[in-house]
Amino acid sequence: MALILALGGLLLGCEKALEPDYPNYLLSQDAIFEDTATIDAALADIYSGLRDNSPITGGRTGIAVLLGLYADELNYYSSSSETDNAFYNHTVLPNSSAVFNLWNTSYTLIFKVNSIIEGLHSSPLGEDEIDPYLGEALFLRAYLHFYLSQLYGDIPYIETTNYVQNASVSRMPLQQVYGKMENDLSLAKNLLPDMDNSGKRLRAAKGTASALLARLYLYNGQWEKAWTESNEVIATGNYILESDLNNVFLKESPSTIWQLKPEMDGYPTMEGQSFIFEFGPPSLYALTEDFITDFETGDLRKEVWTREISDGTESWYHAYKYKQNMFSGASSEYSIQFRVAEQYLIRAEASLHLDKLQEAQSDINVIRMRAGLQPTSANSPEELMDELMRQRRFEFFTEGGHRWFDIKRTGTAAEALQPIKTGWKETDVLLPLPQNELLLNPNLNPQNPGY
Amino acid sequence: MKNYYRQGYALVLSFALFFTYNSPLSSQNLPLKNISGTITDAEGPLSGVNVLVKNTARGVISDLEGRYSVTASLNDTLVFTYLGYKLQEVVVGISSIINIIMQADATALDQVVINAGYYKVSDKEKTGSISRITATEIENQTVLNPLGAIQGRLAGLNIVPISGVPGSGFNVLIRGKGSILAGSQPLYIIDGVPFSSQTLSSQDVSGSTLPNADFSPFSFLNPSDIESIEVLKDADATAIYGSRGANGVILITTKKGSKENTTYAITAKSGLGQIAKKQKLLNTQQYLQMREQAFLNDGIAEYPSYAYDVNGTWSQDRYTDWQEELLGKTAYYQDYQASISGGNGRTSFLISGGYRNESSVFIEDISYKRASGLAKFNHATADDRIKLSFSMAYTHEDNDLPDADLSYQALILPPNAPNLYNEDGSLNWEDGTFNNPLGALEGDLRAKRNSLLTNLLLDLKLIKNLSIKTNLGYQDTNLEEYHTLPYTLYPPQYGFNSLFSSVYSSVGNGSSWIVEPQLTYSYATPKSKLDALVGYSAQNDRSSTLTQYAEGFSNNAQIMNAAAANFIKITDDSQRVYKYQAVFGRFNYTFMDRYIINLTGRRDGSSRFGPNNRFANFGAVGAAWIFSEEKPIKSNLSFLSYGKLRGSYGTTGNDQIGDYRYLNSYGSSGTSYNGTIGLYPTALYNPDFGWEINSKAEIALELGLFNNRISTTINYYHNRSSNQLVEIPLPATTGFGGILANLNALVANNGWEFEFTSHNIDSEKWKWTTSFALTIPRNELLEFPNLENSTYANSYVIGEPITIRKVLHFTGVDPETGVYTFEDYNGDGQISTPEDSQRIVDLAPKFYGGLSNTVKFENLELQMFFQFNKQLAENSNIFGTTPGAPVNQSVDVLDAWTAPGDRTNTQAFTTGSNYERTLASINFRQSDASFSDASYIRLKTLSLAYNLRNLITNSSNTKVFIQGQNLYTLTNFKGQDPEQAQGFIPALRWLGAGFTLTF
Repeated sequence: MALILALGGLLLGCEKALEPDYPNYLLSQDAIFEDTATIDAALADIYSGLRDNSPITGGRTGIAVLLGLYADELNYYSSSSETDNAFYNHTVLPNSSAVFNLWNTSYTLIFKVNSIIEGLHSSPLGEDEIDPYLGEALFLRAYLHFYLSQLYGDIPYIETTNYVQNASVSRMPLQQVYGKMENDLSLAKNLLPDMDNSGKRLRAAKGTASALLARLYLYNGQWEKAWTESNEVIATGNYILESDLNNVFLKESPSTIWQLKPEMDGYPTMEGQSFIFEFGPPSLYALTEDFITDFETGDLRKEVWTREISDGTESWYHAYKYKQNMFSGASSEYSIQFRVAEQYLIRAEASLHLDKLQEAQSDINVIRMRAGLQPTSANSPEELMDELMRQRRFEFFTEGGHRWFDIKRTGTAAEALQPIKTGWKETDVLLPLPQNELLLNPNLNPQNPGY
Repeated sequence: MKNYYRQGYALVLSFALFFTYNSPLSSQNLPLKNISGTITDAEGPLSGVNVLVKNTARGVISDLEGRYSVTASLNDTLVFTYLGYKLQEVVVGISSIINIIMQADATALDQVVINAGYYKVSDKEKTGSISRITATEIENQTVLNPLGAIQGRLAGLNIVPISGVPGSGFNVLIRGKGSILAGSQPLYIIDGVPFSSQTLSSQDVSGSTLPNADFSPFSFLNPSDIESIEVLKDADATAIYGSRGANGVILITTKKGSKENTTYAITAKSGLGQIAKKQKLLNTQQYLQMREQAFLNDGIAEYPSYAYDVNGTWSQDRYTDWQEELLGKTAYYQDYQASISGGNGRTSFLISGGYRNESSVFIEDISYKRASGLAKFNHATADDRIKLSFSMAYTHEDNDLPDADLSYQALILPPNAPNLYNEDGSLNWEDGTFNNPLGALEGDLRAKRNSLLTNLLLDLKLIKNLSIKTNLGYQDTNLEEYHTLPYTLYPPQYGFNSLFSSVYSSVGNGSSWIVEPQLTYSYATPKSKLDALVGYSAQNDRSSTLTQYAEGFSNNAQIMNAAAANFIKITDDSQRVYKYQAVFGRFNYTFMDRYIINLTGRRDGSSRFGPNNRFANFGAVGAAWIFSEEKPIKSNLSFLSYGKLRGSYGTTGNDQIGDYRYLNSYGSSGTSYNGTIGLYPTALYNPDFGWEINSKAEIALELGLFNNRISTTINYYHNRSSNQLVEIPLPATTGFGGILANLNALVANNGWEFEFTSHNIDSEKWKWTTSFALTIPRNELLEFPNLENSTYANSYVIGEPITIRKVLHFTGVDPETGVYTFEDYNGDGQISTPEDSQRIVDLAPKFYGGLSNTVKFENLELQMFFQFNKQLAENSNIFGTTPGAPVNQSVDVLDAWTAPGDRTNTQAFTTGSNYERTLASINFRQSDASFSDASYIRLKTLSLAYNLRNLITNSSNTKVFIQGQNLYTLTNFKGQDPEQAQGFIPALRWLGAGFTLTF
């Protein structure tokens, strides 16, 4: 036996002999960050993840659909999906698969982003090569946390891949989360190029970080900063408001700040597939009657961005911003994340709060006039605020949950939803944290009120 | 090895005899003289035989040529003893030359030498749990795969075929499933070389026909070349295999050459096969009645245009038994063997070759062909210092597989579906109304494999008692396979052409080498004996797979030419390396022939684990007490010829988690963004996971009664698998649902095993032997921290086996509504999965085993083997067919609910447009109604042989035989075959005949 142990000791000396080389189908974490091509591929995975499987996907699991149902934009015509039903009727429960999915897909991508950030920090490449990637990664981390914070309120802001730490994190007060985002975005802004190197606005650039910063400040009531950032985006001249409504969502649109390209050329956007239907009654979703009737007479957006479908007796409308819903030779549209119209309206809102009424009015009119409407007659702050929110409603409907976030942040959700949603409760402004998460990490308690 | 062993025993026995016979009555003052002679047995000279002068201390051992020489007086008695032979006593008398022919003792336990892997041990003196099956039992079967030949025959070993398609594999479990996530495959060792049980086949290519694409690597081994298969089960036997011993070890030893005259043997056999059982399905009249009722129930007055079966598109008078049509062919096999074997006392050789050709019952002509060769060479130098043995097995297999297993189609095609062929012989698509099942057979699925296994064993005696032995092995397998999918597999109405034709092809390579130098030491004193062994093992496995998809050809004739394809995609390109090192040892001490202690241990290192956990220690202690050797028992219980109590305890490990799992790595996502395929971190980096640890305890009683005419072994084992490698659930904030790590989950496998053999009749003319094996296993998940919140919550329950399924509980058809009902466990008024899937069904066998009878009357021999199994299994309800849907169904649906008040087990028919009933039908599939008793008793093997002696020459043997396989199954099972997953062809019923000629 002693002999065996002695030989066992010898074996330890041969430990290196058991060290396997990486197989051809895997790359070591270190190797990834020694080459810009593989760093590029690691980021490509984040972008495709955002597009296909994240809260901002245009597919049926994304917030464009779910929050459209949750707010007053969409009617639900089926009962097949428990998730859709729960959002539509405000009966969302902590064990809902959608609640988990929104949370889980975000943090999955955040882990990947953190893995990239850590890899870049230890990369042997020079700063000039790394910086744009680091900027993208920091932007993406803030972007993902932004939606989590809007959906769930206080959330953990995850900045490491250390699972021991991440498994027992606590929720962070919203203001701290905003601080972290601001920090990441400011850093990103300094690192990112003016325009992304694809030339097609497919990846984050300086303007993208500014645009998100502007939105963050707006949501947080930091009017000065919101004004400065949105003004900066507009002033660069890189993003020009597309005057023809028909072209706003085309992939070449100059008003686009950042858009996500479908996986294969020829594929439609997920939004196109989710919203468009050809026959009535709709199998899933259509725009609410109120939304359609609330359009101001002469608003071209009703004509261009919605479509009426009739079965002869009844008619329904679907969102028609993205017009391609089938495979064709080439994709004509990509999924737009930021467009410059939002920056005009952010600047307008900030101006209002900063008492620059004229400036606000003029920015609102930019949007109105492009929709074929006359300049607004509103001139009191209250009237202008109403008009501004109306423009936001008709400009951004079924885009990334804008409507819900607007009524939530302005405290008008109850007013808008109480009359139409029997399940409405004040506590619905936040989704519940996934039940399973609380069980696996009790530090995430308490659950949001009302659940 | 045998010689070596004989000598070891001789030494021990001689001391033992000294002890026993050293009595003071011995001396007689007669003059001593030299006696000499030669000792032989049926095979030739016998070395190592103890020759003792009775009642004296004088004794010798016969030499290599069987010669001995001893001094004795006229009226002394010589006692000749040898392990496994009957003791002989001869009075010296006046002769000075005494030649002895030793008679083998058929019932002697000592004779049975068991291969324990790194060492050999007699059945009598073994301390561990090792079951064994030999060529006699394997040879009488018609099976292609050696694993098929041992099914049911050994206690503790559960083997289930995964399909009846030639070449498909088996699920093998020794003493139950101990691991939640990691593999439960035993370690296989063929002639000293670890053999990978992983298929090299690609799911993309052969997965369409072979479940899990398992073209079993074991089918390379011709069962006729196997001498014995040993199954190591307990800690004592398996701890020496360390990290790979947790799931047990299966040792396969191929035949050796004989040491006497050159012998030629030829065997030829052939047989026919068919499906053993057809299911009772509706005939056309019953079927149409069901369909009409379904439309009536759904309130659909006018048959829709697509309801071809009822609306008159298809003839309402046609009837086809689709099981007969698609699976009704008669399968055949032909099997030829030839071998030459011979040698002299020092050298022996064996060359054997085999060819097998086997088809199946599918409508498509397919065949599996195997050409196999085995060469063995053994040599010992004159002084017995150096021994070497070399073996090489090479096999070529060509498996022309069916493109699809039409077993499911055969059950669901409406009985009035149209003809398969048009009059001109082309496929009939009935103007696009008939999805002809033969379309799926338009392609070509073929796998070719070459396997080489070679081994060299060198044994050098350094000094007396000390030898150095080295085992060198090399294995190489390469597999090429392709599956063509020509456009003709779609109805012509689709308007496809060869631009839609495609082909999957795959090449797999696997090779491994092993080097195992060992030092063995043995020492004996009159009262005791010691055997020790230390060894080192290094192994290196490499495997690679390359799978390619090509699509779009200008002509179908070009389909095998990927260069002519419009589009080519590599779907898999992976290479893996697995490295392994170990030191191991054994220390065995026997005292007074009855107290035995056996210590084994191993220190293992595997490349599958991170640097911090690469090495681990395993060990076991085994002990045996042969109580029948104790004086009081020996003298008072004369019927007890042998009695042993043994026990063992120790630990083994399980490293079947796949390669490279601990690396911090990025992999390709396969999804692109702006033309770049993404790379992503594949898992949370945990370099610290280690082996699963399986602690095994066992206690066993072995008895031999009435001169070992009856022998039996009763085992109780108690295994605990801990440190389970699982995905430990983590909150999503970590980026993953879990991390591969060792969890304090504990799985227990307990059980009883009984093995029993009785020589009921043992006379010159008549011999009748009965053997019986029974296993009663019990599996239980004892601990699983945080199970409720893990991804395993819907799969496992503490206190239940890990082989369970959680399903809905079917509570019958509501007599008022005629809809299937289920138990609403959470009382929310809705039936939903997984919330209401709280009913537990366990799919592990409750008990299993086999009963074998061999009757010999002069030259006639009859062997019968019954296999039995008590278990639950998925029945045909698992297809989820809605009663009334346009597919054929079991005749059981004829009692469907029709009016309120009906009490029945089949819900009201619906065409599928009744939402409630369709939903209930989906739930029905996911309920306990899809599982039912699948216990069976099967006449697995029947063979009758007649030996025509001296037909050709005086020393020739001609045996003619008939053999049957799976001849009869007694079962209540509702489905095709109780051991076969539904929807795949089960093992066939075979009947064949042949002859063996030896001269």
